[in-house]
Amino acid sequence: MELTRRHMLWLGGAIGAGALLTACGGDGDEEPNAAAGGGSAEPVKGGTLRVGALGRAGAITRDPHGSQANESDYLILSLIYDTLTVPGTKPNTEPRLAASWKASDDLKTWRFTIAKGAKFHDGSPVTADDVVFSLKRLRATPAGASRLPGIQAKNISADGTDTVVIVSDYANAELPLLVRLTTFVVPKGTTDKNIAKAPGTGPFKLDWFRSGNARLVRNDDWYGGDVHLDAIEVKIFESPQAMASALLAGQIDLASNVGAVAARTAESRKDIKTVRRPNDMAMPIVLRTADGPFADAKVREALRLAVDRDTMVKQVLSGYGTVANDILGTGDPAYDKSIPQRTRDLAKAKQLLKEAKFDTSKTYELYTTEDIAGLAESATLFATQVREAGVKVKVVKQESATFWDKTWLKGDLYTTYWGTNDSVVFFASKTMVSDSGTNEAGWKDKEFDTAYQKAIGTADASERTALLKQLQQIEHDSSGYLLWGMADGIDLAGSKVNGLPTLPGYGRVQLERAWLAR
Amino acid sequence: MAGPLTADTAAPAGPSPHGEKARRSRAPLALLAARVGLVVLKRATLLAVLLALVFVTVELLPGDAADATSERGESAADTEARRRLLGLDRPVLERFWDWMSGLPTGDLGVSARGEKVSDLLSSAFPNTLLLGGLALLLTAVISLALGCWAALRPGGRVDRAVSGTATAVLALPEFVVAVALVLLLSLWTGWLPAVTLTDADGTPADWTMLILPVLALTVPQAGWNVRIVRAALADEARAPHVETAVLDGLPPHRVLTHHVLPGALPTITAGLATSTGMLLGGAVVVETIFNHPGIGSVLASAVTDRDSPVIAGVTALSGAVITGVLLLADLVRDMTAGGRR
Repeated sequence: MELTRRHMLWLGGAIGAGALLTACGGDGDEEPNAAAGGGSAEPVKGGTLRVGALGRAGAITRDPHGSQANESDYLILSLIYDTLTVPGTKPNTEPRLAASWKASDDLKTWRFTIAKGAKFHDGSPVTADDVVFSLKRLRATPAGASRLPGIQAKNISADGTDTVVIVSDYANAELPLLVRLTTFVVPKGTTDKNIAKAPGTGPFKLDWFRSGNARLVRNDDWYGGDVHLDAIEVKIFESPQAMASALLAGQIDLASNVGAVAARTAESRKDIKTVRRPNDMAMPIVLRTADGPFADAKVREALRLAVDRDTMVKQVLSGYGTVANDILGTGDPAYDKSIPQRTRDLAKAKQLLKEAKFDTSKTYELYTTEDIAGLAESATLFATQVREAGVKVKVVKQESATFWDKTWLKGDLYTTYWGTNDSVVFFASKTMVSDSGTNEAGWKDKEFDTAYQKAIGTADASERTALLKQLQQIEHDSSGYLLWGMADGIDLAGSKVNGLPTLPGYGRVQLERAWLAR
Repeated sequence: MAGPLTADTAAPAGPSPHGEKARRSRAPLALLAARVGLVVLKRATLLAVLLALVFVTVELLPGDAADATSERGESAADTEARRRLLGLDRPVLERFWDWMSGLPTGDLGVSARGEKVSDLLSSAFPNTLLLGGLALLLTAVISLALGCWAALRPGGRVDRAVSGTATAVLALPEFVVAVALVLLLSLWTGWLPAVTLTDADGTPADWTMLILPVLALTVPQAGWNVRIVRAALADEARAPHVETAVLDGLPPHRVLTHHVLPGALPTITAGLATSTGMLLGGAVVVETIFNHPGIGSVLASAVTDRDSPVIAGVTALSGAVITGVLLLADLVRDMTAGGRR
């Protein structure tokens, strides 16, 4: 799984709860024919969809396994190349180039079967060798170990022409989810020099690419079903403001991930659709548990009670978001909605602080950055709110590079953000299990570790769900995260655009079902 | 900038310049070339110092290119390996020297993401030059026209209106002008495209996309240059030969074009030339607002990435252009002034 630092992939996933759907789609401007919602009108074939996506000219990459900092690059790549699996609604992992998969009983050996009729754009069939080559190439990248966690290159092999066998170092029930968004497949033997010219297997073929802009034409031979659009033109935008202007002026049909500010600007325009994709971005506050002033679980509990979540969502996210309950992975079908929602309780917060003998005479520094919209604002509002519980917090805005170098994983109190929000297990494995590589709060909890190991080693779905609930309860009670809310992903589209995805994160790039009304 | 390119001796004040033609065309031409060479050398040195400063400044910023372009899942060891690969573990002056030694061959180095800097700039720089060039041209036309119009009747209604407006707009930052133009001429009226979108060849898909960014760059610069033109003309109007022309009963516009303007030209050219730097600087801002695919976005992203070779590449090219334009302006000044000495 790729997670670039500041323009991280917003790894996609499922829309979680029906409740969230209702909460977010209630204002009637939600795309009615969204992929997740099912269409009422019959799709029309033809037309060119002009899509704007964010990207920086200096960070452009054509490599499907490269460091994709640009959303525009990722969009282009994901339309040309296919991954083994893709994000879905429910379940959160759906087949793509891998038509099916099966695990061994110990959940270590996974066999992926390649979709029948899958062909590269040059006509040659996709073989297991191509997939093995691509996975090994991905594993060899600098972040390969985190993109294919627990999978060594030597443990990726072909079995016949249509089966790929992956052996994980440990039992991992979430492996199909982990190969969702980065496992782009290119023909075997593609050299680094020719990577930009490598044919893909995806729903669209490359017509031309220039300086981050591209035109893609329909792949009539795609194995994945009907593609309606004749072509997609991807335009790179450095700023969301310019992208919004382009949409409002009718120069593009879809402004991908343009954000809440643009959505508010466009509210008065009847000819513009706002597509809200819930559970897109988590911006939790990290309270260090290993040592320091927040090591006492009571202090963390107090701060969680001191924050006014509704106001945070309203002000920081302009209302384009939902309240959260200190559990990460809100879009997971296994997300536990039965755990009571934590609400503001200043009296209890003060009492807990007293019990913990928390030093309220001191001022604590909360480190933040301006990496993504709303992050610094969330820190400022949080500081204002906890002051009412007697905790003095001073917000320190850090330059991005400094933050990731000096504060991340080390600080006592800081903001972070994550774009993969459809998997409880993803966060547990990445940020909460004692020995996880990016344990942001330095959290070590034996009970949690045990629950996690059991959950990912359990094949039975209902048993697993029960174990995951246990895991989420522990996280809710004592982890180092204060997750006040979840930001919606927001796309703006012209009135003729239909069939857009409503998945959070990079689920938004699945434009193969989009169509244009005449 | 540097002193006159031609020494006074190079333009002998003979009673009849035509008679001197044979002598002037050889020796002074060589002298002129030598002087141009000297000035170019001086400015190239200045540019080299500036480029060294770029490297040092980027070094002083927190974090480095290896950090800035790393991925969240990347281990410290992997980042360290990339740091070595990018040569960032070497002293800054050594890296600067490496980069400089490639410059004469046109090699601008490799970006932190492994792209050739010359590739990054190959379509971006011409786009910025086109934008800046058009804006400079438009600035020249507008400022000359308005400046002359105002100077025809000093203190008159036109003069006051033009001078007042010029002062007002020269204080407007480019981004204010740009945002206002987008709202007015695109989003409200729908007359012009709001942003620049490019074709397969990397150039704007439609020429109308250039109008708004060029205007946004031109307006503040035109304000500045109208003031200069107006002032230069007023100065020149007090010269004795102009007074003579007026007393001879020549019509005002003839006095303006044949007697005042030639004398004011050196100042006007110098004013326009200094605008080049402002135009290139303003282009960075304007390009972001209009999504114009120029060096602005490349530069902004390079600074984020702590990408010294890219920043230095942009600086070197812009520096070369500005130097070239200033040199041209100096030549114009010397040629016009030389004939009158």
